[in-house]
Amino acid sequence: MTGGRRPLKGRKPGDERIRVERRHAPYFRYTGRGVLTAKPAAITPPTGAGRIWSRAKAILVGRPLATEEEIEERLSKKKALAIFSSDAISSSAYATEEILRVLVAAGAAALFVSLEVAVAIAILLAVVSTSYRQIGHAYPGGGGAYAVARANLGRAAALVAAAALLVDYIMTVAVSTSSAVEQIVSAVPQLHPEAVLIGVSAVGLITLGNLRGLRESGNIFAVPTYLFVGSALLMVGIGVYRVLVLHEGGTAFAPAPGSPGILESVGVLVLLKAFSAGSVALTGTEAIANGVQAFKKPEPRNAAATLTAMAILLAVLFVGITFVADSFAIVPLDDPSTGKVKETVVAQVAALIYGRDSVGFYLFQTFTALILFLAANTSFNAFPRLAAILSQDGFMPRHFGFRGDRLAFTLGILLLGGISAALLAFFGGETHLLIPLYSVGVFISFTISQAGMVRHWLGERTRGWRHRLALNAIGAVLTGVVAVVVTVFKAPESLLVVVIIPILVGLMLFIERQYAQQARELEVRADAVIGPPHRRERVVIPVQAMNRAVVQAVNFGRTISKDVLVVHVTDDVAAAETLRERFERQMPGVPMVIVESPYRSLIRPFVTYLDVTTTDPELVTIVVLPEYVARHWWDRVLYNQVTNSLKRALLGRPNTVVTTVPYRRESETEHHAPAGPAPGDEGGAAGEHPG
Amino acid sequence: MPTSQPTPFRKVVIGLNGGPTDTLVVKLACELARPSKAELVGVHVVEVDWTHDLSEDVASANEAASAVLDMAEGEAERDGCRLETSLLQARDVGAALVDEAAAVGADLVIVGLPYRKKFGGDFAIGRTVPYVLQNAPCAVLVVREPIASQVARGREPGVAVGAGLGASDRL
Repeated sequence: MTGGRRPLKGRKPGDERIRVERRHAPYFRYTGRGVLTAKPAAITPPTGAGRIWSRAKAILVGRPLATEEEIEERLSKKKALAIFSSDAISSSAYATEEILRVLVAAGAAALFVSLEVAVAIAILLAVVSTSYRQIGHAYPGGGGAYAVARANLGRAAALVAAAALLVDYIMTVAVSTSSAVEQIVSAVPQLHPEAVLIGVSAVGLITLGNLRGLRESGNIFAVPTYLFVGSALLMVGIGVYRVLVLHEGGTAFAPAPGSPGILESVGVLVLLKAFSAGSVALTGTEAIANGVQAFKKPEPRNAAATLTAMAILLAVLFVGITFVADSFAIVPLDDPSTGKVKETVVAQVAALIYGRDSVGFYLFQTFTALILFLAANTSFNAFPRLAAILSQDGFMPRHFGFRGDRLAFTLGILLLGGISAALLAFFGGETHLLIPLYSVGVFISFTISQAGMVRHWLGERTRGWRHRLALNAIGAVLTGVVAVVVTVFKAPESLLVVVIIPILVGLMLFIERQYAQQARELEVRADAVIGPPHRRERVVIPVQAMNRAVVQAVNFGRTISKDVLVVHVTDDVAAAETLRERFERQMPGVPMVIVESPYRSLIRPFVTYLDVTTTDPELVTIVVLPEYVARHWWDRVLYNQVTNSLKRALLGRPNTVVTTVPYRRESETEHHAPAGPAPGDEGGAAGEHPG
Repeated sequence: MPTSQPTPFRKVVIGLNGGPTDTLVVKLACELARPSKAELVGVHVVEVDWTHDLSEDVASANEAASAVLDMAEGEAERDGCRLETSLLQARDVGAALVDEAAAVGADLVIVGLPYRKKFGGDFAIGRTVPYVLQNAPCAVLVVREPIASQVARGREPGVAVGAGLGASDRL
């Protein structure tokens, strides 16, 4: 950090001051004793091509943000309801349709039970949300299923929860986006052929937005939720009024008088299948409990109130839409030519209530699509964060914990965007084909977190613990049963998730083992005092010619050890002898060994030579490789191929250090060349042919 | 009585001493500079005593000296201002500060005044601030270090306005 000094005369005789150049100042700033903080200039690439790429990246994802620029905002209940509930509330846009699809397949007679199924799911929602209120109170720092399971159930259960959550987040993006696109094509059927393209583009845009560090706390994210909730409540209200007061519809799917009961006429299997299909409505219920710390104080109480409001809204919308659809005999409408969704159930309900081609209809479809895209966006916050936590705990590669230029977990965002876009493309953007993969993971994580809470209360035994334990136990049993039902009745597709989760758990355990092993290998005891090195070192320099790069490498080697040896591997002994004669004349005191290689191989004979000359197992061999630095990115391919091969061959060799000494062309003008021909005169530049 | 708007400052030199007044000085400078987008120059002078030659390298490897300027630059950035920095070594801090202000064409110098007492309890103003007040070619603002007893009573740090050579009366 030293710099130049410039003397300056003062106004009075004898007054003189010296301006001291601070060479670090444009790039670094002292922020504490011995602590330098990098400025933006320090991360600017030095090459022209690098700067162009950097600028292009800044245009695409924005300028790099410093860690201290991160804004932490506490959310009010109103804002939090909109931001955290979009995933849960938006599922009311497709949950009814999933029930009806099962019942339609079972025959028209089965359709009249859709409302009963919806009510049963709403009761389940009440139990789950009440249980999650307790998690919010017990874990105000964020009670995700992984955190609760890790604290109470141990590593295995925590990893199962984490794997289930990761699958859940991916499916949330795929399902929400496909459903949003279906709402768009329901309103504008001309866009039908482009549905997959629209979906994949939307995921791409959301990915890009999140790479730019899109913040969910902005008002722009709160508006679509309230617009959807408002317009959907109005729609349900008008629908209920028309059925109950104006007596429209109402008997569409009613069973004939004197017909047998529900179970006899529909069958328990169909009922359970419809229930498992509709239980997709519960997805996203856990979001508020996961984000308690984002609320304003008192956090747990505000989170609990918001969770209750969300559950009530979701239940009203879900049951209400199902009731109106049931009353007006609305069933899923597929395009017979393509077999794809022609018009969603919620779009048909909106068309019926607001009038087809009316402004109200188009607005409702727009709000529905918006809240669904917003629901997809919530996973882009949760997935990378969970991946980062897992990477901190050693269960995922450390790269997932690194934050990019815009303070976002780049790798997690890219992975989520890539997998969900691939799923969308693979399933042709059909929501009902993706749904079987969806709720399995959700219910597994629900069950684990509720079971974790049972253990929590058993350990805590604070005031009212019995009552709380009972509530979480009921939640655990119910969600566990639903997890099994959903897995069984959505088979065989659901089995894919059942297979993926153990694979992910196995992978995470494998990664943890690898990191733990590495940590053990690298560990330095805290009480150990490390003395100076006492092992003997020798330097070996593979060379092919006498040139400046070789001279630089040999001189560097001489600064490390007195034991320096130059090795020349060749198939031309006569030429080698000439080189040795010259080398000994120009660099006296540095012995050269010629290794003749009749099979013309350069790498293996050199490595074998090192092996056979290493008699002392404690001896450290430092291989110094002369390397020529290419001036342009495109001429790199011309140089250093043998150097690179040598580096690869020596990688992992015990007691061996490999170091390269770069020679830059600019150096030619800076110092005098040693007597002799210029680089390239004898078999090319150093590093290209070092050994 | 005719009232005229004070001329906005164009260039402000801030004398930084590495003490607690630096933060106050930078904040005040940013506040004054913001409306007219005035340039801010932070100056820290390392005094070289007569046992060393002035041309000797005293400051360049001095981490603490650099840190004074870097901390001030960071403080200004947080306040939304850009602060140029200048590290000087000289025989006398006051003279170097005044010469630097003259060299850059400053129309305001702001310096911090540590609250120290002489033996016997009298306030010690030191020699740098009086020199700057007397010789600066422009207006001078002096920011006194808050007095611990007054801070404890909840009073704001005191800011004294000194009259230099120049249009300090416009303050």
